[in-house]
Amino acid sequence: MDINDPLDFELEDDLLKPPPLKNNKRKKVIGLDDLLKDHYIEQDKLLEKGNKQARAKAKKSKTSYDDEDSKEAKLTRLVEKCHNQLKAFGDEQEIPPWGVKVFGDQKAFPSLDFPDIGSCKLIQSFLNNKLNSVVGLAEDKGDIFLEGLLVNGWLPKLAFLSGHVEKPVAIWAFNTMLYSSKEEVQNSSCDFWCAILFSKKEVDPLSVKIDWFPEYTDLRRALDIYGFLFKFSASAELNNLESDIGGPPQNIRAWVRFVTVCCLIRSKKAIFSAVEAEEIVEIIICLFLDRQFQGLVVLLSDCMQTIVNYFTDQEWCSSCENIAKFIACRVSMDLNCIQTIECVSEVNSRCKQLRSAVAYQTLVSCFDGVSNGEGVLRSLRAVNFKDKKCDFFKLYIHLVLAENWILSNSSIDDTSVIYEMFCLYLRDCSSLISATDLRSYASKVRHRAAYLLHFCIDK
Amino acid sequence: MENPSSSERWNRAGIEDNMLAMFDASETKDAHQDTLDDRIAFLDAVRASSFVPEHRNPPTSKIVGAVFHMLRTGKSLELIMGSYRLLVDLDKRFPRVYLYGKDDSQSSSNSSSKLVVVKEAWSPIVDCLDNATAASEASKKRSGGPLDPPNFQLLIEELAEISTETKFQAANMEPLRNMLLFQYLVIVFEGDFLPRNATLNWSMQRDSLLNLLLGSRKINYKSLMKDCMTIICQLSQLLHNEQSKYLELEESSQSQSSKNCHATLSLALLEVLKNTCVSMEKLLVMIMDFDMARKNAGIEGQTTRADSPRTPFMDIILDELAYNKDAVPVFLKVFSEPKWKLEIVVQYLWKYITKPSVRTRKSNGYTYTEDATFDGALKCFSNKTGTKSLIKKIGANVVQFLLAHGLQAELSILSEGNVDDNSAPVDLCQTFIAAFDSLRSTDEQMEILSIGKEALFAAATLISMKP
Repeated sequence: MDINDPLDFELEDDLLKPPPLKNNKRKKVIGLDDLLKDHYIEQDKLLEKGNKQARAKAKKSKTSYDDEDSKEAKLTRLVEKCHNQLKAFGDEQEIPPWGVKVFGDQKAFPSLDFPDIGSCKLIQSFLNNKLNSVVGLAEDKGDIFLEGLLVNGWLPKLAFLSGHVEKPVAIWAFNTMLYSSKEEVQNSSCDFWCAILFSKKEVDPLSVKIDWFPEYTDLRRALDIYGFLFKFSASAELNNLESDIGGPPQNIRAWVRFVTVCCLIRSKKAIFSAVEAEEIVEIIICLFLDRQFQGLVVLLSDCMQTIVNYFTDQEWCSSCENIAKFIACRVSMDLNCIQTIECVSEVNSRCKQLRSAVAYQTLVSCFDGVSNGEGVLRSLRAVNFKDKKCDFFKLYIHLVLAENWILSNSSIDDTSVIYEMFCLYLRDCSSLISATDLRSYASKVRHRAAYLLHFCIDK
Repeated sequence: MENPSSSERWNRAGIEDNMLAMFDASETKDAHQDTLDDRIAFLDAVRASSFVPEHRNPPTSKIVGAVFHMLRTGKSLELIMGSYRLLVDLDKRFPRVYLYGKDDSQSSSNSSSKLVVVKEAWSPIVDCLDNATAASEASKKRSGGPLDPPNFQLLIEELAEISTETKFQAANMEPLRNMLLFQYLVIVFEGDFLPRNATLNWSMQRDSLLNLLLGSRKINYKSLMKDCMTIICQLSQLLHNEQSKYLELEESSQSQSSKNCHATLSLALLEVLKNTCVSMEKLLVMIMDFDMARKNAGIEGQTTRADSPRTPFMDIILDELAYNKDAVPVFLKVFSEPKWKLEIVVQYLWKYITKPSVRTRKSNGYTYTEDATFDGALKCFSNKTGTKSLIKKIGANVVQFLLAHGLQAELSILSEGNVDDNSAPVDLCQTFIAAFDSLRSTDEQMEILSIGKEALFAAATLISMKP
């Protein structure tokens, strides 16, 4: 591939091509052969690139030595050196990407049989209706019929117009939401529950009388059945992404959505206690750490924003710290701890506060015998960059944590000691690390610090 | 809004240069973990600088454009989702169009509120460039840039093809990317149209991005609308019937990482499919609301010749559903917005109901006689010959679907409004049951579909519950 050719992403952007003519609008189906061909082309490209780089390196080394005699020996040495350096670069990639398996094997799902059809007035009262000669509803087929009412959208209408949801129906809908394997049924029952909980009328109490509410234990049990590892810690065995354990069922999406809506209606019905809500925040952070949830970040961050606002102001101070401590002592000191911070996006003040708290607690746990912010920063500044053993990856993590702790914390203003120490630390990182330092992550630390320094001056 | 001092602006520009440097660096490297890290870092930096309370200014067009570029060209799920989320959050925080001074809302006495349009804001939808050569030149340069109406049509055509592909390729992020892009564009259309529509002022409504798209001469409007209908039906079928087939990812490599990838993708896919369905419904509703606004403006004589007449979307829907009767159950099920759903059902029924007396109907699709309500349609079923001919024209099954969904939509509207008149739902249910009875007695062989049974159940239950 020539350098002047368009970059691969440019070629791919089909949307930029003018619309094709009507008759050849549909693309042909991609066959396996095409895929294989693409794969080979891709491979060739990579190979060629690799060769080119190697050649370029070799050329440079050649021109820098003129001494005819020692040329070959030197060249050999140089090639070796390059090789080692490349290897060192290679080490950089061995830092595993973030990701923790937070789900193990699923347990047996409970049966979805309708619990107690005899006590369900909705079904019972219709059995004697003369229209039943047309509908043909039988008591033993009640749950199938109910499923039809659910997926075709009748249940919410009945609930709103009658202003009432019976206990057996509420339980049944809750269970199908969390345990049905049918996508349509999970979605519909989740929609149903969300609709009756979060009705548009702002009046207290709920405009629909609901005879049964789930408790936190019901939600927790569901997670347990999905295989969620409550004893979460990012230890080695769990960190093993290659291990053969399954993921959560699709119902987890309904679970997250349901929790989100429950958090919005505290003024009408407080479903969780503060301690339970703390656990939910911890669970959501754990879900963020699982790479299997990459596609659900929008859902998860909506949930996160809602649940941090569930707490009252008094509860929040201590809850925020509890959550931060819980996370800090479990997360491993690699890219995962950066991910825990980044998953709490700073869209509202409580999220900011939580982000700062998690970063701070994680930092404190990095250094023995350090108990306050100044101590943390002193320990950070004590690192000698010139030391051969200096672990820049660790430094990078510390830098990101410190950045999030200090910049997301509204109580640390730019006149405080902490802030000044942090700026000095940034200055150290950006000026004392040589630009030619080829060690893994050295340049990353330097660049990040320089970038942040810009921010600090700006402030 | 305060004016930033010149020094502040300078510093801000410096930061933006730094951020863009991060982005550019990521452009030049290979598709490699490092690149990914750089790009994620870029997204984080944009987020961090945009959501600080002291900054009231949105990031510059260059920055937002770069984020949008990532959404359109990203190859990893993390990046695509990350850029999508950031764009959505930015739109929420820095709306391009908003109503100012809307304190005591509810009663839309819109004279007090003023529409503010941030003209300099970056937009993912742009007007077509004047001549074709310039457009192709520009599109080469700005790959992953904003879409013009033909680009949008192309996107819709690609979405319409998603479900025809038999298997979802794990390595191919394009369907996911396109669906998220579409969702984002619908958010943009909404953010632009809803406040404009709330002004009830045609000159504001006319300038909406939606009108820019629909009124463009560079697109085939009818086929675009038909594709939209196809997509919403296909997605809903995918979600409910054939998902397992669709999600059968290529099984060529049995490695563990591909299994993990499979789990990640299937969680992401179903969520994205579902949300795309919801977004499509929003778009359809917006288009119908816009048609309504234009019709009202036309009545008041505010439209000009420049507001080129399009076929109202409602007519296209009705034609499609009349032509393709298999689509009726799917479409009515997935389309849940009650006001327009009821309108579709009513107009569909009235198209075929034998009118009591001969009337000339104007060609304009919106002129209907006064009795053309759902209730009126139900009452027509008492006329046996009329019912017979209706069944003959559209089939007993379609009639059942229309009646059931009409009832559902009407019940939704009744439950949303402040029901002072408690008898309204009961009256409706009684009329419904009577209509269904005459339907059955007219065609005794008619098989009663489950949706019909459910509707009867709901009607009978609601009647028995009221005192």
